[in-house]
Amino acid sequence: MKIANMGVVAGIGLLAVACASGPEPTERLSSAQASIRAAKEVGAANVPQAQLHAQLAEEQVTQATKLIEDGENERAEFLLRRASADAELALALAREATQAKQTQAAEAIVNPQAGAPSPSLQATNQ
Amino acid sequence: MKFIFDTNLVGKGLLAAAAFSMVACATAQPPKELVDAREAYEKSEHGKAREYNPAALHDAKSALDKAEASFEEDPESENTRDEAYVALRQAQRAEVEASTLAWQARAEKAKSEATQAQAKAMERAQTDLASARKQLETEKAAREAAEAKAKDMLAKLAAANAAAVKEEPRGTVITLAGGVLFASNKSQLLPGAQTSLAQIAEAIKSQDDKKVLIEGHTDSRGSDATNQALSKARADSVASFLISNGVPQDRVTTAGLGPSRPVADNATPEGRANNRRVEIVIQQLEAK
Repeated sequence: MKIANMGVVAGIGLLAVACASGPEPTERLSSAQASIRAAKEVGAANVPQAQLHAQLAEEQVTQATKLIEDGENERAEFLLRRASADAELALALAREATQAKQTQAAEAIVNPQAGAPSPSLQATNQ
Repeated sequence: MKFIFDTNLVGKGLLAAAAFSMVACATAQPPKELVDAREAYEKSEHGKAREYNPAALHDAKSALDKAEASFEEDPESENTRDEAYVALRQAQRAEVEASTLAWQARAEKAKSEATQAQAKAMERAQTDLASARKQLETEKAAREAAEAKAKDMLAKLAAANAAAVKEEPRGTVITLAGGVLFASNKSQLLPGAQTSLAQIAEAIKSQDDKKVLIEGHTDSRGSDATNQALSKARADSVASFLISNGVPQDRVTTAGLGPSRPVADNATPEGRANNRRVEIVIQQLEAK
């Protein structure tokens, strides 16, 4: 019975150590932030889907920052990977929208009457 | 909580927990993130990414494999969900980037079409310009030919003596004195007049863009009816001579105007002599 108790205590201790383990993911943090900035620069705010993913990325960065403050670096690292993935998707979506506009403009010059059929924008739900 | 302290019970509990955990392993449901990631990868694998963005598709596959490995190792772990989440986003991004590249390809195509159309339009404009220039040149040549012809006519008329030539708004007017052409009250041409008239016929017969109006005029002596008839007969006489000397008949008309248009005073012999005359008016044919 004492052994069982000790096991529980040890387990909790190990868990705490595991969570706190690892260095602060500063590189990942700045990389995720850079990706978010890039997405905004490309005009993510004007593309609803891009805006959504940029927002998700920002929320995850905020959360990760808190985790780093609490010393939970490993968990923070994973959250930052999610954040980067969302920010990069936001960037890609914003670029796609810009390119689509440019293409439609170019096609309008060649063929002013016919409304060019648009290749459906990629639907990305979370 | 009492039974926990019973060694037996603890052992049984551990067994049960182990069994439970095995069952959990065998039937573990993949987390929603993984299901979504598989679906998204499937979609981009059959979408534009295969053609336009194979590298990103490959990265997405690696991420998915990593998530699958994590799931096999520890289905319940947060890590599995994180890996799957990242894989999902990567697959979505592969497809979005592929779509961007597809748009880009379309833009390139449109631009090259525009360039071609522009080149064609330019070519057409140049052809049009060349033909317009050619037409202008043709017109210019025709105008110059007509001018040369008219000049030629005037030169020949100037050579014909006994003929006064004047440019008037109604055309080129050649005035022939009645006394030179006809005997008094006659409409028969005098032999001496024929040389001059032949020269005039020579000058105007090739002017195919001109028509010829021949007017007979008299002085005011005698009755109007007689003068009218005489002036008409004299005009006709000149006309037949010109026609017999090569001036096309269909371009010649005549008029007898009697004393109605004097050019000098009928009270003096000189004035009357001047009023007795035949005028040959060479006019431009109306453009057809």
